[in-house]
Amino acid sequence: MATTTFTVAEQKAQDRRTRRKEAKRNVWAYVFVAPFFFLYSVFGLFPLLYGVFLSFHQWDGISKMKWVGLLNYVKLFTVDDIWWQAIYNTVWLFVVATIPQLLLALILAFIINSGYIRFKDFFRAAYFMPFVASAVAVGILFSSLFGLQYGMFNYFLSFFGIDKIDWLGSALWLKPSIVLVTIWQWTGYSMIIFLAGLQSINPELYEAARVDGADTSDVFWKITMPLMRPVILFQVVTSIIGAMQNFDIPVMLAGGTQSSAPGGTDHAGLTAMMQLYWSAFKYNTGSKSGFGYASAMSFILFFMIVTFSYLYNRANGRNLTED
Amino acid sequence: MASNDKALSRRRFLRFAAAGLGAASVAGVLAACGAAKPAEDTGAAEATKAPDAPATEATKAPEQGNQAKVELTFWWWDGNGQIWADAYNKLNRSATVKFVNTPYADAHDKLLTSFASGTGAPDIASLEIGRIGGFTAKGGLSDLKAAPFDGGKYEKDMVKYKWTQGSTEDGRLVAMPWDIGPAGVWYRADLMEKLGLPSKPEEVEALISHTKGKKWEDFFALSQQVKEKSGGKVKMVADAATDIYGGALRQGGEGYFEGMKLMIVEKATRPAQLAADYRKQELDANIGWWGADWAAGVKNDAFAGMVIACWMQGGLSRDQPQTAGKWRVVPAPEASYNWGGSFCAIPEQCKNQEMAWDFLTWACCSAEGQNAMFKPTGVFPAYKPAWADPLYDAPQDFFGGQRTFRVWGDIADNVASITRSPYDLQADDIVNAEMAKVMKEGKDPVQAIKDAEDAALKAIEGSTP
Repeated sequence: MATTTFTVAEQKAQDRRTRRKEAKRNVWAYVFVAPFFFLYSVFGLFPLLYGVFLSFHQWDGISKMKWVGLLNYVKLFTVDDIWWQAIYNTVWLFVVATIPQLLLALILAFIINSGYIRFKDFFRAAYFMPFVASAVAVGILFSSLFGLQYGMFNYFLSFFGIDKIDWLGSALWLKPSIVLVTIWQWTGYSMIIFLAGLQSINPELYEAARVDGADTSDVFWKITMPLMRPVILFQVVTSIIGAMQNFDIPVMLAGGTQSSAPGGTDHAGLTAMMQLYWSAFKYNTGSKSGFGYASAMSFILFFMIVTFSYLYNRANGRNLTED
Repeated sequence: MASNDKALSRRRFLRFAAAGLGAASVAGVLAACGAAKPAEDTGAAEATKAPDAPATEATKAPEQGNQAKVELTFWWWDGNGQIWADAYNKLNRSATVKFVNTPYADAHDKLLTSFASGTGAPDIASLEIGRIGGFTAKGGLSDLKAAPFDGGKYEKDMVKYKWTQGSTEDGRLVAMPWDIGPAGVWYRADLMEKLGLPSKPEEVEALISHTKGKKWEDFFALSQQVKEKSGGKVKMVADAATDIYGGALRQGGEGYFEGMKLMIVEKATRPAQLAADYRKQELDANIGWWGADWAAGVKNDAFAGMVIACWMQGGLSRDQPQTAGKWRVVPAPEASYNWGGSFCAIPEQCKNQEMAWDFLTWACCSAEGQNAMFKPTGVFPAYKPAWADPLYDAPQDFFGGQRTFRVWGDIADNVASITRSPYDLQADDIVNAEMAKVMKEGKDPVQAIKDAEDAALKAIEGSTP
């Protein structure tokens, strides 16, 4: 018995020595990975945990923090109509802008990859161009295009005898305007990712399928799509995250001025991220705004992103096994 | 063996460290030393001794000797802030001022963030009237009446309502009044003349200004004439929601609160009715303010005037220089009013409070500083002694030789008092959202304003400010 205890203790000491030696041997590896963990804990983990802490408080950033428990969440779920309208707008924009944008990008990538067309490099660069444009430039460009009295779009429409459309002013047209800019700006980026995915597919597979007598649609549905699944998964998940945090384009087109509210008429262009930002930094004071309230919003958004991504992942995984 | 390894790795480590330091340092000096000497030896002393190291590199940390001065940072959201920095730096006082252009959209958010995190605030911050309520009621700004400051003595020199806005309820002064926004009716003399309408300031004043007992209805009548004479091509103003509502509302005092009492229905109903009526009669050009469409509208002579404050001069001379000399100004119908204006404050984080105070008092509380800014930009001083300058009686080229500065001064003296609340911006946005429905969807203005009050009450209920 005593011997056993001794051996165990000895074994443990031995293990510790090995571990220490192991650690010493790998010291440089630790040194080289340390910056990431250091930076992540300072700029990633700490703000995240602090955000959780904040979401249980009422805080305007200057005065003393006030502990309110779950009250922020309760208010968001029960009385804050504008927040849910913003969530609705955000999901609406995801469905009507992001999903078509991904489909369009996939089709374009397929066309460019197909070998039917020339000047591939030109098209690739041209479609990607909007993505690198700065937000300010895009904002100025589209606010002139969408202008009610002097906008380019309304000028073109006037040739067809169509009345002026208040693109950014009316609740009816604001969302379609945002959709248009979103598709314009993001299709090229998605297309490049899809294109990379397409090009990584072994051409021998296509050749073999042709030899077996498959036509283009067979090739697309039976070879391209299954092999593209990981790329599509990546695109969809990053798009869900991006769409739930939709901010720049709506702010550019309907960010509010001295004489208009953010989100435009009827809050038609107000996204969840916008409402969050305004609550935290602009309105700031009171029990239905401020940093704490906005943190609670951000966690609701966070769980929505996790849920959507998980659901898509699951649906996607099931299909994969069926094939 | 082991100790050998260790020594080797330490030497390698030092080399890495030296290389890292070398890369981080601005001058290449350190990299050269680092290769020869261990890391401890390479200090800031080395860099400062180097003859070619520019003195301006050490920004806030004072160096030995009195070559380099303390540099104060000053935040404002208009590129014209450089005017103050340049003029002040020429005086050669104990500190220099570095102007940082913080875009209006996030200037106050940045300041708020620096308060929340306890670091990063400028030495002198500017605050706009629409956001001041959110700062005075809280903390983070120094009391300019307490030592080392002596701001109390400027009270008699400042426009009264402005002083109240910069003060807290317990009587501290946390934001020094800087400029005010006396507002009136601007019109294009060239367009009025072309339409065969009166174009001299005295004539137009007699038609629409409150100084001649005229009301908004008289302004509507003139607008009707502009529309008729031009065949509908030229309207009097761009957007009733800004020109009519914005003006009429502020005549009752800017903002929707009196103390903590919400006054949306009392203050906004008539202005909303006026704006809705104006739009219904198609008297405005239906061009939203502040955007590309508005700028194109000015270029295309789509509207012959605007109802706005004096600070519009700065932006117009920069963006629409072709209109310089064509504008004239007369007092608004019904009453004088104020639109906008700013304050200067010294955050508690400021390390060189006395030097910041020296700049702030020069800029805001001296005729020299205030007029250095006012002359080129039209940013109108809240500091009344500045108005004594002969400059204020001089004809202005931008206004075709009209003595407009005197017009502004007369307006400023007669502005209704205004109180600010931390909920100002929220209330503004709620009412603006309802006004959009009135203007864009034809919603009944009375109902819209009622709905706005309900929404605002809901937004702030249960709040402890």
